[in-house]
Amino acid sequence: MRLAALLVFILSFIGVSNAFENTTATGPHIEVSLHSENQIWHPGSEQWIGILLAPEPEWHTYWQNPGDSGEAPSINWSSDANLGFGDIQWPIPKAIPVAHLVNYGYEGANLLMVPVQVPENLNQENITIEASLSWLVCKEDCIPGWADLKFTLPVSTQSQPSDSKRLFEEQRKTLPDAQLLNGKFEVTEQHITVEFEPPVSSNWTLFPLRSDVVQHNQPQQQVSDNKQVTSVIPVSDYFIANNDSLRFLISDGNTAYYLTANANAIGPVNSDDFNLWLLVAMAFVGGLILNIMPCVLPVLSFKALSLSDTHMSLTKKLGYLAGVLFSFNVFAAMIIAMKESGSAVGWGFHMQEPGVIVALSFLFVYITLSLLDIGPTGAKFSGIGQSLIKGDNFTSQFFTGVLAAVVASPCTAPFMAAALGIALLSDNFTAIVIFNALALGFALPMTLLMLSKFFRQWLPKPGEWMNQFKIFLTFPMLATVVWLVWVFLGQSNSSAQFALMIALLLFALLLWLASISKGIMQGLLQLSAVSFLVICVYLSTSVTPSASINDANQASYKQVYTTESLQSLRREDQVVLVNMTADWCITCKVNEQVAFADQEVQAALQSESVNYLVGDWTNKNGEILNFLQQYQRSGVPLYVIYAGDTYEKVLPQILTADMVIEAINQAKKEIDHG
Amino acid sequence: MVKHSAILTVILSLALSLSVHANVKVDQPAPDFELVNEAGNTVKLSDYQGKYVVLEWTNHLCPYVQKHYDSGNMPQLQSKYTQKDVIWLQVISSAEGKQGHVDAEKAMALNAERKASPTHILFDSEGEVGKLYRAKTTPHMYIINPEGDLKYAGAIDSIKSANPADIDKATNYLDVSLTSLMAGEEIENKLTAPYGCSVKYKS
Repeated sequence: MRLAALLVFILSFIGVSNAFENTTATGPHIEVSLHSENQIWHPGSEQWIGILLAPEPEWHTYWQNPGDSGEAPSINWSSDANLGFGDIQWPIPKAIPVAHLVNYGYEGANLLMVPVQVPENLNQENITIEASLSWLVCKEDCIPGWADLKFTLPVSTQSQPSDSKRLFEEQRKTLPDAQLLNGKFEVTEQHITVEFEPPVSSNWTLFPLRSDVVQHNQPQQQVSDNKQVTSVIPVSDYFIANNDSLRFLISDGNTAYYLTANANAIGPVNSDDFNLWLLVAMAFVGGLILNIMPCVLPVLSFKALSLSDTHMSLTKKLGYLAGVLFSFNVFAAMIIAMKESGSAVGWGFHMQEPGVIVALSFLFVYITLSLLDIGPTGAKFSGIGQSLIKGDNFTSQFFTGVLAAVVASPCTAPFMAAALGIALLSDNFTAIVIFNALALGFALPMTLLMLSKFFRQWLPKPGEWMNQFKIFLTFPMLATVVWLVWVFLGQSNSSAQFALMIALLLFALLLWLASISKGIMQGLLQLSAVSFLVICVYLSTSVTPSASINDANQASYKQVYTTESLQSLRREDQVVLVNMTADWCITCKVNEQVAFADQEVQAALQSESVNYLVGDWTNKNGEILNFLQQYQRSGVPLYVIYAGDTYEKVLPQILTADMVIEAINQAKKEIDHG
Repeated sequence: MVKHSAILTVILSLALSLSVHANVKVDQPAPDFELVNEAGNTVKLSDYQGKYVVLEWTNHLCPYVQKHYDSGNMPQLQSKYTQKDVIWLQVISSAEGKQGHVDAEKAMALNAERKASPTHILFDSEGEVGKLYRAKTTPHMYIINPEGDLKYAGAIDSIKSANPADIDKATNYLDVSLTSLMAGEEIENKLTAPYGCSVKYKS
């Protein structure tokens, strides 16, 4: 209604403008005219001029992106003064269907306004402005037109409004909001998905500023999640994906905002890079700390005092370092071999598995106890250091290093155990890097002492503080236990968490009892502590998450994707739907909010004959990468349905509930026929 | 919420069904078709296996078509390439009663007047071939190689305007693409957004 009023209002202006010069022109089905908001301009001001395009009823002109066909009007400004002409302020366009196509433009009159900067030092009485204008006016057929419009305005110390002022004021109300929005976009096989956060919620239509981005004649699907809006639009055949950002105007017909959408960073977050450096640093520091352990430092000091660095070759001096590195790498290799043979028989070491979390919490309780000298190891081997000081050739230095690593293990065990835990959860490369960092940290002080006596003065003196420090270290260990128990809650329920804490307490009690017992009794208690641990880990593998704590994302019918689980389900002739997703993937979220949130789909996925495997590619994961590569994909989403060993089908990247159900039914049929 | 998603799903399914007919793709075999020419004979695309074929969607009343005919640009291209044994098919998809719809006689007269020399004028007033090739505008140009693969689809040149003065400033995509192809080179822009009037289809 407002628009109609505006139209009538605007129409009344046609032909009214000041008869300065040829400010109006007429073409078939259209009248065009040149206007200025003020009829007298003053230097150093911003003025507004504009071209009014007034087509006949049912005829339309175009927005900056005309859509499937048509052409935006273009204006070339010139003047006898040194004026700065700004860009056209395009009013909010509408989508105009023309036969099978859609154009973006304006039905009825609209004023294309342009700001003009008038310089301070303007030294002329009149300004002449010329506009070389071309347009296209269309109903179904189109007629182009050209005109040169011109006017001359007096310059004075004060601006004075013209008759057209209201025209400018009215048209300003139809301009997009000044607030600029930012968003993200993602391009899949057939669609472009744009995510943004509008200031108000409404039914937004996206108008791309470029004509080769979307298929203008296709409906736009919108999904809202809180304030975030995601629009899925069929992508233009002419769209060439690169990393340029895209600009859109989002409009609900009355209000509009310009939106700049950047290409969504495709690819998983490589959190390993960051973590690796952090782990290396921690391992190195851990290695250094080993040196001040009560069973190492006294020996080190003793050796340091007895060293004579005058006639030792560099090779000999580095023998100790080589020995330590050798031992740690042997240890790393053993762990990797163990891990590989473990995963070959189907063990996975994933933090997602409750069993691993439980085992780790027992491990850290054990570390805490051994730091407190409670438990089967303790610092009973303080005298082992004697062998460290014999001989000073390379071989003896080398084996000194080996011995230091092996024989000092009662003290180093807590740290070695922590490194072992990390190594089991990491890839092989990370494991080796961590062990070497630990080894370097461990070997560094002794190596420095051998290289130069200069460092000897830095060596702290052994004393009671070492024990205090050791006890202090129990707190980070206990903090780790607290964290693990919290993680476990996310995977189970509060009763299971309570049971775990009681189990940890009993485990600690058994170990303490073992440490004060002797002979067979000690062995029995140790054995019971270990079996207790094994039982707990075993039980934890069957815990089920409680519904109240876990949201739909962790619903029990979803299983975590592993290569192994997919293979075994296929071997068992099962229907399997694999969903490869990631937190940063906008398209995945749309599918989860629409297709996967559908009740029928949920019911189908929960039915016993269907297995739903979800792979989370938010962080790098080798198994998911392999899976994606198998389907020549570099990213998510990827949906594949399987029926046993023989049938597989890749589903489109934008899903509907019907598509998922149909795919599941088809797969079930394949099983029945097979 | 559930009801909401259901509605969205319906809208989405609709959107998908509409975009299913994406059947022409550059570097893929060009779909075969049959149309009647100015002499009343049936012309099949597959008759021209072994030759380069240009498809030109046209509508003589469209200002963008007029830009390229009145300036002599399109007739020159036609004569340049038909002399090199390229088959040039002018396709008119304007439906009866719509702009640009002409009979054979009128079409031939128009070409004579405009010095246009396509190999054939093809009449597609049902719009089936136009829709098969997803021809959107007049002009909309396609190049098919001797192996029958579509090698170019899009605009005639790089400046979207109805102003004949822009022709010299523009890169003529059809000309450079055909030249590259015939020299055994890759085409730089295989797919461009066409510009011009909408094709006046029956529906």
